[in-house]
Amino acid sequence: MFPANPDCGKLFAEMDWSSTPLGQREDWSVELKTLTNVMLGSLQPMLIVWGPKQTTLYNDGYAAMCGHRHPAAFGGSFHALWHDIWDAVEPIITDAYQGRGTSMDDIEFTMHRNGYPEETHFAFSYTPVRDPWGTVLGMFCACTEITSQVMVRRAERTQRERFRQVFELSPGGIAMLVGPDHVFDYANEEYDAMIGVGRDIIGKTVAEAVSEVVRQGFIDILDGVYRTGESFIARGLPIQLNRGPDGEMQRRLIDLVYQAMRHEDGTISGILVQARDVTEIRAEEASRELLSHELGHRLKNQLAMVQAIASQTLRNAPDIASARQRLSERLAVLSAAHDTILEGGRGTSTVRQLVQQMTDLHDDPVAPRFVTSGPNLKIGSRPSLSLSLILHELATNAVKHGALSVPGGSVELHWRVVLPGADGFEMIWAERGGPVVAEPRVRGSGSRLISAGLNGTNDGHVEMSFLPEGLRCVVTADLESFQKEH
Amino acid sequence: MAEQTRRAPVLIVEDDGLIRMDLADILADMGLSTVEAANADQALKVMDTLQAISALMTDIDMPGSMNGIALAHRAALRSPTCPLLIISGRYNPADGTLPEGAVFLSKPISEPALRRALAKMGLIGAMDW
Repeated sequence: MFPANPDCGKLFAEMDWSSTPLGQREDWSVELKTLTNVMLGSLQPMLIVWGPKQTTLYNDGYAAMCGHRHPAAFGGSFHALWHDIWDAVEPIITDAYQGRGTSMDDIEFTMHRNGYPEETHFAFSYTPVRDPWGTVLGMFCACTEITSQVMVRRAERTQRERFRQVFELSPGGIAMLVGPDHVFDYANEEYDAMIGVGRDIIGKTVAEAVSEVVRQGFIDILDGVYRTGESFIARGLPIQLNRGPDGEMQRRLIDLVYQAMRHEDGTISGILVQARDVTEIRAEEASRELLSHELGHRLKNQLAMVQAIASQTLRNAPDIASARQRLSERLAVLSAAHDTILEGGRGTSTVRQLVQQMTDLHDDPVAPRFVTSGPNLKIGSRPSLSLSLILHELATNAVKHGALSVPGGSVELHWRVVLPGADGFEMIWAERGGPVVAEPRVRGSGSRLISAGLNGTNDGHVEMSFLPEGLRCVVTADLESFQKEH
Repeated sequence: MAEQTRRAPVLIVEDDGLIRMDLADILADMGLSTVEAANADQALKVMDTLQAISALMTDIDMPGSMNGIALAHRAALRSPTCPLLIISGRYNPADGTLPEGAVFLSKPISEPALRRALAKMGLIGAMDW
């Protein structure tokens, strides 16, 4: 009889209505008869609450919302049906009986219509039904299922939330600008940090929120992107931002992307800003580049120095065997001087360390032949290599021909900062108790290497005097260049 | 050989005493007379006192009021025909603004390359090596 609502249609047909407040169906009002026909003919969930006793009729669609209360609720009172949520239902049913309709956008039900519990959402409207004279006879309610719309909205919200999280977690600054005046709609923390923490920008235009960028031409660029839809992409762009602790201006370098965002119809709605502060990264890159350049330069200079030492050694050697030995000794001295530079870190070799290296090699710890004294002066890496070599050549010469070639001979080694200007370095090597020396007729490679002086210094001099009591060698240099790290 | 020793000396400007000494020895072995300076300021003084130099051979990075490139420009200004040889471990010619015709050699210097450069400048005979 009611193919659209077989369940409730059967209940309706078999119900003994005379035992209900509505009485026999034949006596029902035209309004009630019409509405029950509409309701039982409809696939849309519908409900009728009728008469002073609020007798309740509904169709199969609505029965699904009633759950286990159906079928007992059919033909019963509306209060019996919704007694557990009566506080919420009573005002609206009362309103309807007083002639005021109500609509509710979203009521959630758990339904079992597909064999498993399922979240559903419905929109209701309670409509008062009156007789021709205006008296309210009852209430008619049509429900619209909005589950799918609610789910879509929820998915959208979830997606928006997810995007928001992605934006928040992004290592770069992200902001969204809306409209032709570029009003901040969103900015992540990184963006805030980039422009300066604590600036209140949401809801303001870029020109007022970050006013310092106006004269730097950024608004013109934004206008261009908004007008043409063409993205703006820049790397290492210099920008001045009032981002200091007290809002003072700072120069930064940023990677920047402006991208047009569009409405569904393709028109431009705003601009997505992605910005990354690359100031520190760029500075690191530059210093790394400088460092590798510097290393290459040092290596080449040191190879040139080794080349000169090798060449001088070979040039003045009596034979290949002694050349090989001298060369390997000299390279070992350079290598030890290098260790000192590296051990102490940049530029922290001291004269005392280099003297110590020499005496370790040439002095006798049991019967010391050296008397050394001098301040613990810092020495730059270039002069330190030369000084090591000079000390080594002086010692080698003393062992072979000078004070250390005989028992009882000694070497006094003193260094100091030259007063009164305190702007010079001086080292004096003085031999005593050796054989009587005279200036050699042919200078060997050792004395040539000594006479080359302190590499990397200004105004460097080496003076060798062959005094009767022994060799005296004075090495001088300007103190600043002596200590400078090249 | 006799003809070469009559020629004006080659001015060697290099702040590293060892390298300067060795360059002077190498040039002397080729029969060239040399005069040495440890920086550009000293080199200018040498040029003031000498009547002429047959070539300028200079390092770039040196202490003092100017570097080797500036010195080479000064020398070119004084004597446009003076051959210029620039030697450095730091720069390469693309970076620099070397005077026209200047030859660049990278440190550490290769002796054959040095001989080729000097031969090209006419300071030593091409057959000397």
